Amino acid sequence: MASRGWITGTGAVSPLGRGSQEFYRRLLAGETAVRPMTAEERAGLQATEVARCDGFSPQPEIPPMKARRFDRGSQFAIVSCLEAIREAGFNIADAPEEIGIAMGTGSAGAGALTEFLRVLFLESPEAAPPFHFPNTVANAPASQVSIELKLFGPNVTITQKDPSALNALLYAVLALESGRARAMLAGAVDEWNAIYALGFDRVGALRGEKRRSGIVQGEGGFAMLVETEAAARLRGVRPLASLAGIGFAGVPTDPYRFAPDPAAIRRTIQGALDDARVAPSEVGLWLPSANGVVEMDRAEADVMREIFGAPPRALAVKHAMGEAAASGGGQLVAATRAIADPDGPFPADGRPRRALVNSFGAGGNFLAAVLESPAAAA
Amino acid sequence: MDKPRRVVVTGLGAVTSIGTNVTDFWKALLEGTCGIRPFSLFDPSGYRTQTAAQVLEIPDGFLSASERKRTSRADRMGLAAAREAIAQSGLDLSRENPARIGVILGGGTSGLLDSEAYYEQHLHGKKGRPSHVLNHLPDAITDRVAQRFRVEGIKSTITTACSSSANAMGFAHDAIAAGLADVIITGGSDVLARLTYGGFNSLRSVDPEPCRPFDRERRGLSIGEAAGILVFEEWERAKRRGAPILAEFLGYGVTSDAHHMTAPDPSGAAGGRTVRSALAAAGINAEDVDYVNAHGTATPQNDSAETAALKMGLGGRAREIPISSIKSMIGHCLCASGAIEAVATVLTVRDGKIPPTIHYDNPDPACDLDYVPNAAREGDIEVALSDSFAFGGNSSVVVFAREAGVY
Repeated sequence: MASRGWITGTGAVSPLGRGSQEFYRRLLAGETAVRPMTAEERAGLQATEVARCDGFSPQPEIPPMKARRFDRGSQFAIVSCLEAIREAGFNIADAPEEIGIAMGTGSAGAGALTEFLRVLFLESPEAAPPFHFPNTVANAPASQVSIELKLFGPNVTITQKDPSALNALLYAVLALESGRARAMLAGAVDEWNAIYALGFDRVGALRGEKRRSGIVQGEGGFAMLVETEAAARLRGVRPLASLAGIGFAGVPTDPYRFAPDPAAIRRTIQGALDDARVAPSEVGLWLPSANGVVEMDRAEADVMREIFGAPPRALAVKHAMGEAAASGGGQLVAATRAIADPDGPFPADGRPRRALVNSFGAGGNFLAAVLESPAAAA
Repeated sequence: MDKPRRVVVTGLGAVTSIGTNVTDFWKALLEGTCGIRPFSLFDPSGYRTQTAAQVLEIPDGFLSASERKRTSRADRMGLAAAREAIAQSGLDLSRENPARIGVILGGGTSGLLDSEAYYEQHLHGKKGRPSHVLNHLPDAITDRVAQRFRVEGIKSTITTACSSSANAMGFAHDAIAAGLADVIITGGSDVLARLTYGGFNSLRSVDPEPCRPFDRERRGLSIGEAAGILVFEEWERAKRRGAPILAEFLGYGVTSDAHHMTAPDPSGAAGGRTVRSALAAAGINAEDVDYVNAHGTATPQNDSAETAALKMGLGGRAREIPISSIKSMIGHCLCASGAIEAVATVLTVRDGKIPPTIHYDNPDPACDLDYVPNAAREGDIEVALSDSFAFGGNSSVVVFAREAGVY
């Protein structure tokens, strides 16, 4: 079987709690963190619901004085990446040049950007706070992780709509396969922002009082440590799961338009299965892309039926934590934990456990990944 | 490193303040033309500086009126550069398998200029036009290029600030080398916006006069805007169809400084790691390098740190080769700087002509290399590096070489 990387640790800061085990446990129990917006959050929106990391504290990982230097997205990223590194038992100082990071995001920098421009417009350009400017860049979370954890390897951030996390995972895999690194943190991070919510609401992206098709926004930070199989074996660790394959497709369309194109969805899913050298019947769990955009959800379900006959059991992440680029990270972490869980959603029949993660977004962006159990990877 | 599939450049496109096609841009660069001047895109009164390298007229006549209306300034510049690059490559996209052609760009301010206007109205209690925020996200340009040229392969947008488009080229290279695509339209487009203009003003890292990279009296950068697009293609395929092979993309180095969000490592150790990682990825030695297109922003910190990094990365070779910063002419084009500087680097390799660093008058003991001051030069350039450093310590160095097959 093909293995494109071993996942040896996961981390999560999510609307369903802190820590990837907690996130996964509550997800499996069918809980949802989607809740009515507060009056302050709703101001001026037709959207009614949101899923946020309520009550999140960056402690104990980041001391209070230090935490003030980081925006919310960077805090999510640091805490989730630390969890993944610790679970993997990876000692960065052993070879800092051989570990890097690839994070997806749709919103990182939003808080700093809106605050900087608020002062610039309402007061003056000279009054605009320099402290915020460096954090307006989308790469702030991943770069703060690199500075905090002292990683010297590749460091990229990717924004490509909802599939940003899977896009980052693809970059990470190429970094491992080309020998640029032997371990990569891969994941995604997003922070909910009121001004961005207003923008998404105005352009018709959010579900609410006036629209039944659309997303509920989420936020969070998710990370996985992905290592080459050889490097993980050398360290004597067993993976939680193995990344078996990735598929993708693009559809030419406007950046903000959904393209529920069955051919592209088919190409994406079949591409991931082929890359993993796995037959549809060998997949036992499906983490749907479905996020409440009716025509996209329907197209995904149709193509799943076409490829699988009866699709495998679904574990819906976005119904539980909303949609954001980070939600793809949530799907990947949930798939990893499910594969590593002997009492989880897979039948206890001793067969290799395989999960399909779908991540489709506006602008004609489609990615999918197949993860599998270490037994299958061996 | 094992390199089963090699990647060459078969097309270039450029939209800049000193030329809105590759021919004009290259001529202006070699003549030492400065595009940094008073600008009109927004009102600069109230800012510390009043100059920028603005593109005067975007050659977007090929877009329909409705396309022009729906797209951002960054989209239009990027589409114009992509159109030029694809034309040079000789690719007839209607005859290609669209699934094997991808778009990987560096993401910049994208539609921010418009969404800033929306936000300003919102702050003053008015309802802005929703269409003003539609192109806000940095990945819009990638989707636009794929849409216009009808390609259906891998799409990605790297958002690592000022190294975005350098890293995009690296990702494009890796994707073709790994067989995920045969052709990738790569590079980036980034335009002036109040956020970035005001941001560098607030950090006091701008020069009120046109910037002077590596000069002792340098006071900071000049902001610019540009689109630089490169067509990357698998080498065997390019040869088979008789495509113009302008240069080979030999490889790239991508590292974390892990030092500071805004300040470079003054010792040069971090940048030196990036240079060494680029040489290793390209499978070459420091002695093979003939030219460096510098990041050269003209901030006091960058230029001395970059000089130290080149010495650490290239050893004695750093003192033997020309190094120039075209930011002295087109300003710091932020997320597109890696792309537009790569276009210049490919042309340097192709033509053996080295663009100068203009506004250079006073040698700085902390910047003691050969910066090709004020006048272009000829040279036999087989291998050239282009540096990109960014907020967050996201450093990237790309390597181009003349004529695939030598290295």
